Formats: sequence, structure tokens, C-alpha cells
Amino acid sequence: MKILEKSQLIKNQELSAKDNLESFCQIIKNVNPEINAFLEINKDQAMEKAQDIDSRIENGEKVGKLAGLVIGVKNNISVEDFLITAASRTLENYQGSYDATVVKRIKEEDGVIIGVTNLDEFAAGSSTETSYYGPTQNPAAPGLIPGGSSGGSAAAVAAGMCDLALGSDTGGSIRNPASHCGIMGFKPTYGAVSRQGLLDLAMSMDQIGPLASDVSGIALLLDVIGGLDPRECTTLDWQAPLYTPALQDPLDHLNGVRLGVLKESFDVTDGPIVKIIEDRLAELEGFGVELVELNFEYLDLCLPTCYLINYVEFFSATRKYDGRKYGHRIEEVCGEEVLRRIHMGSYISQKEYSGKYYKKALQARSLIKKEINRLLSGVDVLISPTVPKLPHKIGAELDTMEMYAYDTLTVVANLAGIPAASIPAGIVKGVPIGMQMQAKARDDLKILQLMSFIENNL
Amino acid sequence: MICGLEIHVQLDTNSKLFCDCPTNYQEAAINHNICYVCFNQPGAKPYPPNHEAIDGAIKIALMLGCKITPELTYFQRKHYDYPDLPSGYQRTSIPIGFEGDLNGVRIREVHLEEDPGQYKPDLGIVDFNRSGIPLIEIVTEPDMTSPEEARKFLKELIRVLEYSGSARGEGTMRADVNISLEGGKRAEIKNVNSIKGAYKALKFEMVRQKNLIKRGIEVKQETRAFLESQMITVPMRLKEEADDYRYIPDPDLPPMLAEEEHVEYVREHMPEPSHIKTERFVKEYSIPEDHARVLTSEIDLANAFEEVAREVDPKFAALWMRDEVKRVVYYNKLKFKESEITPAQLVELFNMLLNKKITTKAGQRIMEKLPKNSKMPSTIAEEMGLLGVVEVDEVKRAVKQVLKENPEAVNDYYKGQKKALNYLVGQVMKLTRGKADPSHTNQLIRDELEVKD
Repeated sequence: MKILEKSQLIKNQELSAKDNLESFCQIIKNVNPEINAFLEINKDQAMEKAQDIDSRIENGEKVGKLAGLVIGVKNNISVEDFLITAASRTLENYQGSYDATVVKRIKEEDGVIIGVTNLDEFAAGSSTETSYYGPTQNPAAPGLIPGGSSGGSAAAVAAGMCDLALGSDTGGSIRNPASHCGIMGFKPTYGAVSRQGLLDLAMSMDQIGPLASDVSGIALLLDVIGGLDPRECTTLDWQAPLYTPALQDPLDHLNGVRLGVLKESFDVTDGPIVKIIEDRLAELEGFGVELVELNFEYLDLCLPTCYLINYVEFFSATRKYDGRKYGHRIEEVCGEEVLRRIHMGSYISQKEYSGKYYKKALQARSLIKKEINRLLSGVDVLISPTVPKLPHKIGAELDTMEMYAYDTLTVVANLAGIPAASIPAGIVKGVPIGMQMQAKARDDLKILQLMSFIENNL
Repeated sequence: MICGLEIHVQLDTNSKLFCDCPTNYQEAAINHNICYVCFNQPGAKPYPPNHEAIDGAIKIALMLGCKITPELTYFQRKHYDYPDLPSGYQRTSIPIGFEGDLNGVRIREVHLEEDPGQYKPDLGIVDFNRSGIPLIEIVTEPDMTSPEEARKFLKELIRVLEYSGSARGEGTMRADVNISLEGGKRAEIKNVNSIKGAYKALKFEMVRQKNLIKRGIEVKQETRAFLESQMITVPMRLKEEADDYRYIPDPDLPPMLAEEEHVEYVREHMPEPSHIKTERFVKEYSIPEDHARVLTSEIDLANAFEEVAREVDPKFAALWMRDEVKRVVYYNKLKFKESEITPAQLVELFNMLLNKKITTKAGQRIMEKLPKNSKMPSTIAEEMGLLGVVEVDEVKRAVKQVLKENPEAVNDYYKGQKKALNYLVGQVMKLTRGKADPSHTNQLIRDELEVKD
């Protein structure tokens, strides 16, 4: 059942919010100890909310767009009264004192927040193995990583522990685990969703977005969390379309739609994965799309550029964890990857090196942005694999560059601030494979329309 | 010696620079005026910068003769590790104004910053009420050549800030003072919190550096702290790496542009700065510079003077306002504005004096009654019986009576005691209720006593 249909059932009193919540709580109880997607749940508070929604529906009162839907929130997004640890020992005792804008909006639209989900420490990873609270299992491929850093949110949706989940994406952290877990993940245009309350990884690239098992869920959650936040300076002041109504009348063909295919993205991707994407593209051609092969010469530049900026901004963002307010000084208790980023950030932001590294990275970024926008000017959506390789076994030793390589195809969207999504495209060796779609800034709807078409027709 | 200054003063806004918290940090209970933004809790992002603060900074920069940058301005993060800094960095803008001038001292730049909290080691606490209050930093070129010049500059600067109506004045001032002598390197003195402190620190540092140079010891480039209690400076221990603030543009705050139209609007609505007003008064009203300086010490006094000068001879008005108005206001421990003395009251009083309807002495007594009094001087004069200048005959009669009634004082006068004369003048003034002219009375008494002789 689609999320939108379920939401109608709840509003029509065919399914109570309470029963919906109860069944998820049962699943969480059964599988979370194994999967470790949720770090903390608050059933009592969620139940109170669900019962309130049910009684309002019974009384014929108005309820919000998310009425009764059960939602998990990545644990780097502030939710009042939950421990907000970002899966780091640094914040093991920090209780959220306020709701992030996205959480406020979810609560206002009667979403039922059941709990907070696991992630790589401070979202600095692609496997969810670096969590202080242990790794998360991939429900779609047991024994393998779920991807990351929003691995908890992706696994929670994939294992049926909630209707929808929030993730954050700085270099692929929504799309990557969505791909590995066989669900959908959407990183909106930079500024389309408020970051107020999102714990920083790299502020100029971080973006909150939804994970769901179908497009209607993605659209519904985007409709709620998106839009100008007068209290977050980087949010866009624009007339964002409402996605749910926009998807009401599905397209029956794709005539005239131009899809760009990045040649270099296939060059760096494992053969079986390429094959699946090519198969999907061939099917789409049958529905009238025009495929345009494009060259993106700067693909090699993207990963180092993204990481240099990430290091410097993360270094800056973590200065508040000085041990005075939150108990631990971050450098003394954090994991290896977080420490590497802090040290690298501290090193390359030194006065004497900033011209050499940070300023260069910013220059490279504007070059990449310009080039990707040039490529996008001739097409509606760019298609590539989401992740160029299959996920590894939990606990396998990877060197840093092997780990970073998971992000090769996803970092571009963060550098350029453009919207990007991942949708299931097939299976290789029992592991789900995602297809990535990217569009021009503010063309989020074009991606959603294509996702919706694929969901209905492929 | 040459000296340059970096002066921080709080801007007078209702709310903080990046959140809605109030700015009355001294009145509020410790850690009361804080929110997740100014306390910088995990995930918090700054709200859009306070417009009042940005306009205040533009206004002050313009009043200091600065150009306003036509380029984008943005906030940078200045990283350092200190208990009073909740985020581990301070947000500080790139220059909003540059290349200004205040009485010959060049202003290098004016920019905006956020105030940190207050670390109180003696109490073992950090109070974040102050965290996020907007500060303006004014940086001069090293154009001052003596402690006196620096003091004069700071006094004038504080006046300009008071005139702007956008800043909080000397009470919130924090300055870094740079000083070097010929043959030595530059010392930077921190912890200077008043004009007097800046003057004393420079005096001390001048002597210290002179002595070193005299003895052939090298003056190192160093940062020193001013100890207000002892009026001395001491070396400050700084970590070596603390020097590198690792500035980056704040990714949470997009660049801003001061639109030319908006800058012009601020320029049109800003008050005339005190130092420029002083110059204009000298030229326009042909009054001495020291008169002009006193009259412009407060913007309300200066405005009142200009109103009065439209009706009354400006030189006469300037003299009276410099001496008598200031005296009475100062005696009552008021600012001119608080005294509620109106230009209309002054115009009437000065006209009474100029038309010889009252004596100078009577004028002074009426002036003393003016603070917080809505009555017009003519009414006050009438009530006190001060109206009219007494006829000479009446004074002469009074003189005769006083001399007759005070034989002892007369005797003292003959013995050469000058005080006796003052006493006798006083008695005549009393008898004529102050309407006699003191110096004329003095002459009359002496004439009378000489005749007897």
C-alpha cells in the first residue's frame, strides 16, 4: 500500500493511527535488536499523539497532511527530549532542547515521531559502521552494510519499522543507503529544506531530505518539510510546487523528455551495476525519452573537492564540542574518521595553507558547478548509478580511499547544490541497486515526476 | 611615538545580532537571555542578521567619513578556544566601511562582530547573556603621536557614537591599543576598557619602552595586558597557535550587499557628526572653537543652540549656553536633554537680558530655576521679584543705608581688608533683591568710602 493511500485510510477511519503505530512498534520490537536502525524510541509520546489524531478524526476536526504516519528521524536532527548524539560519544549525554524546523513542521502536520535513527558518527561516513552505538544491518542484504550515513533511516524504512524517515545528505548520505537498502531517497535542492536544527557536517552542502519506500511518501514528506524558513538564512525564498498534488495525474508517456547519461559515471562503476542502469534506460527509451550521452570531465575532481570543503567546514562546526558544555572534548572520544576530518580541516585551514587547499577547493567547486549546470541546460534529468560498487560486509577493513569511493557519483549534487534522488533499479547478487537522477536547482519536481513514472511503469 | 587603536563598542539594539534574545544583559539574571542560537547548541543556525545592527554600523561608518563597500560583505568565522565562546568561533564581518577620518586620524575600517559571553573565573561561571550582542569595531591607522592625542581622539569618537544614537558609549568600550616608539617594535595592549585607561596605558608603555631603548634593550613585538587596578601593562601569555584564527566565510550566512540607495537613505537620515558640527558652528556663528566644542558635547544642547541662535545674537547665546546652561545642568547632575530646558525658555531669557529687563545676576538666578520647570523666565522673574534693572538712585540709597548699618565692615575696609568690600556689596545686592549690578555697586561703595576719607 502506498503511503498516500495509507494516509487516506487513516483520515477515513479505515485504519487508526493507533493501530498503525502499534504494528510498527511490534516490528521494531522484533527486528530492531538485530538491525539496530533505531537508537531510541519513545512509544508513550508517539501513542499519545496517535490517539489525539484518532480522536480528532472521529470528531471531524481537521488533521495535518501526515496524520498518523509513523516517522523516524536521523539522530543528527534536533528533536526535543530525545538524546541527540549524532552517534558520537561526544554527545552521549546531550538531550535535544529544541525541535529542528523540519521536526516542528512534521509535528504540526500530525506526523508521529516514533524515534531516532542510527548514522555514521556525525554523518561522516558511508557505511553506518562508525556509530558509537554499533553498526546497522542492511535489511535487504543481511550481513552487508546498509550504506550511510543515513543507514539507520534507510534500514528502518526498508525493514518496515516506520512509514517514512528523515535523513541528511552531504555527499550522498541519503541516496547511498537508499540505494543499498532498496528504497527511495531524495536530496532536495540546497536551501529547499531548512537546516535549522541539523547538526553540521559541512554546512554549505548539508541538506535534509526524505527516505521512503514509494514516491508518494517522498512527495508528502517534502511538501511538509520544505519551504522558506525565515530563521535559516540559506533557505530559498521561492514558490516551491506542492509535489503531492503535482503527482496526482501521472504521465502516460515520456515523449520529449531528455535524459542525460554521464559517460564517466559508467566508466567508474562495476559492470553488473552498469548493466542494470542500461537496461532501465532502454526501457525508458521505449516510453519516448531521448537519451543524450554527455561527458563530465571533472568527475575526478569532485571527490577531493568535496572532502577538502567537508574537512574545513566540519573542523569549524566541531569547535563547540570543546568539552566544556557537553561533557567530552570531541578529539578525545571520537572515532578515527571524525578525528581524521578534524585534523585535516585544522591543517588545511591554517593561514599558510588556505590558499593552497581550501581556496583551491572553492575554485574547483565553482568550476564543477558551472560545468554540471552547462550539462543540465540541455537535458531534463541526468541519469547515473547512485553508487558505483556493491556494499561490503560489515566489519570488513577498507582503506580510506576505498570508503570514500562509495561517494564518487553522489558528491556532485552537493557541490552544485542541485536536487538528486535514488530509486531502486534492480538487484545484483541479491543486493539492491539504485539509479540516481539529478536535475537543475529547483527542478526537484522533474525528478519526482520521473520517479513516479518509473514506479508506475517499469 | 605612534599609536593606533582598535575600538569595540556595543551597538544599541533591542535584540541580539543573530537571534531574538534581548540585549539587557546586565539587568538579566545569569544565563537568562539565551536561546539555542546564541548559546550555539548542536544544530543551531544563525537567524538573518539584525537589520538594526547593520544599519547602525553603516550609519557610524558614514559619520566617521568612511566609504561603504560597494562589494558583497559577509561574516567570517574567527576560531579560537575560550570558555566564553559557545561555538568556538566568533562571527565577524569583513569591513563595511573603510578609509574614514575623524579630526585627522584616519579610520582604516569599521566592521560588525558578535560579542562573546562573559567568563567569570572568580565565580567559576560563564554568563552567556552577552553572547551575540552586536559590536562595532573601529580600527584606526597609527596616526596618533601622544597619549593626549589618543585620549582626545577617543573622546571625540565616543561623542560621534553617542550622536549616532546607535551605540552604547564608553561603558561598553573595549580597546586594543598599539604603540611603538622610534627604534622599537610594536606592542599591542589589550584589556583597555575606558578612555582614561587608554591614556594611562599609553603613558606607562611610553616610559617602559623609552627606558628599554635608552638601556639598549630591544623592544619586542608582543601582546600585553593592561591592569586597570595598577595602571600598568604586563606581558600576556599566548599560545603560539592561538595566532591563527583559521578564518573562513560563514557558510550559514549568505553574503549581503549594502544597496547604494539604502546607504544614501541612511546618510540622509543620520545626524551630523559632532566633530563636523563643531567646525560648522565656528564658521556659521563666528564663535570660538572652545565654545563650539562645549555646545556640541551633547546633540540636544547643540540642536537647542541652533534654535536659539535663530532668534538671538549667536555669540551672546553661545556664551550664556556654554557658561550658564552648562553650569546649571552640571550642578543638577543632568544631561541637557534631561534638564528639559527648552529653546523657547532660553530665547525669552536672553532677550530679557539683552533688553536690560533684568540684570546678569537675575539672569543667573532665573537660569538656576529652569531645569525640570515648564514656567517661562518672565513668569519666574515676576514671581521672584527680579524684573527690572534698579535705578541708580535706588542703589545709591541702598549703599548709604548699608554703610550706615555696618560700621564694623566699614572699619575693616579702612584697615585694608578686601573681604569687607565683598560683604558690603553682598548686603546691597540683598537689599535690592539682586537687581543691582554687582560691579557697579562695587564702584559706588568705593566712591562713597573714598569721599568719606
